[in-house]
Amino acid sequence: MVGEAVEADRPLHLSLGHVGLGGDNTVLSLAVAELAYQAARRAAIGATAPIVTVSNPSALPLAQDTLRRAYFTRERIVPYSGSQARWYPSNSQTLAFAAALTATMGDDRVAGNVLAGSFGPELALVLEQAQRRRIPTIATSTSLDGQAVAYAMADFPLLGEEVFAAGGYLGESAGQTAVVVTLDVLRWLLILGILIPAANALSDGALLEAVVRLLEGR
Amino acid sequence: MRRLIAILSAVIAIVVGLITLSGLLVGDELGLLTVFVERYGVRDLTSVFLQLVVVTVAVTLVIGLFNLVVVHTGRIGRLRRGWPYSLVLLVSFLAVVGLTLAERAGLASAVPGEPAYTAILLDSVEVSIESSLAALLLFSLVYGAYRLMRRRVTWANMLFTFILLVVLLGALPLPGAGISLLAQVRNWLLAVPVSAGARGLLLGIALATVVTGVRVLVGQDRSYRD
Repeated sequence: MVGEAVEADRPLHLSLGHVGLGGDNTVLSLAVAELAYQAARRAAIGATAPIVTVSNPSALPLAQDTLRRAYFTRERIVPYSGSQARWYPSNSQTLAFAAALTATMGDDRVAGNVLAGSFGPELALVLEQAQRRRIPTIATSTSLDGQAVAYAMADFPLLGEEVFAAGGYLGESAGQTAVVVTLDVLRWLLILGILIPAANALSDGALLEAVVRLLEGR
Repeated sequence: MRRLIAILSAVIAIVVGLITLSGLLVGDELGLLTVFVERYGVRDLTSVFLQLVVVTVAVTLVIGLFNLVVVHTGRIGRLRRGWPYSLVLLVSFLAVVGLTLAERAGLASAVPGEPAYTAILLDSVEVSIESSLAALLLFSLVYGAYRLMRRRVTWANMLFTFILLVVLLGALPLPGAGISLLAQVRNWLLAVPVSAGARGLLLGIALATVVTGVRVLVGQDRSYRD
């Protein structure tokens, strides 16, 4: 998708949705910014800068800094423009933001969308527009409504915590890979933490007794 | 110099993060931690930090407005595709700001007992437009379900569409044994597999949030390094 955008000299569109700093979504904002950074860093070799859209004003400085860092690491800070990060004012999960994104796709002749963050069912409007214009889209949302819509309508949906692992998949540092490994370990521990008590309850406590006997060597 | 600034910003973020976390999490019965928090006024410091966050977020609103004006003025200046919409946006923005200032100054008072002009404007423009878009949303969702099967017929897609149909039909308020059975199936689906799947997704996101939060607290986030 990024390669096509660079070759076609058209911008890549990265949207952080309704996430913002200073609230419940702060950590998610950082994770989504990492995904945007990885995509923007790849697109920064092209002549047309990517567009980053946000609906929460507190995410705007983050979006601008993400773009700036992407260009800085490519040593191409001159083409960077702060106005490529755009704020479309709207409350959480309102349709005004979705309407603005559909307009951006047409007006800026976007070559691809990465919609990652917090979106509600209004994501359907954006994805439908993307389909009509044959614009490939990666989409995910931490909201369950938005996640369902992304799964059904996006070309490349990401599920659940995959957005947090994006840095590990796309990045190059050992620290980011460690995040993915840590997530896997924690996930398995959580699964065991759910399954073992459930199995123990189903066997009326016989399972734990058997394990204790085994450990004691009886 | 750049590296020094990066280290300094990481240290500030770690210290402020740890202080805020201690102020919010440490209770009254945690021994030495509680003594530390009470002796050094960590809770008061946490309160100050949180107030600063509120003020900073308010300032970002001004940055956002500035960004909005700059982006759309640039579009008009360069006659970029869709520039008339940018013009409409800027004129509307200035008109609403002007009206709000006039209301505050008492130059455009609403009729006593009636809502303010800006509130009327919000109700009659934004709410109406958003209602129209909400109506369109239904068609977009139906089109999405149709496209899911058209794009690629897989077991997962077939299951998704089948469940969608069962849930939609089960929600219909129609009489009949078939519909009643579908309603029972729908209730079971929502209570067991859908609920379990949703909890699984949310647990995964919660775990990832914790890991990312720890990365920020130990200064491993990219924004401290570049």
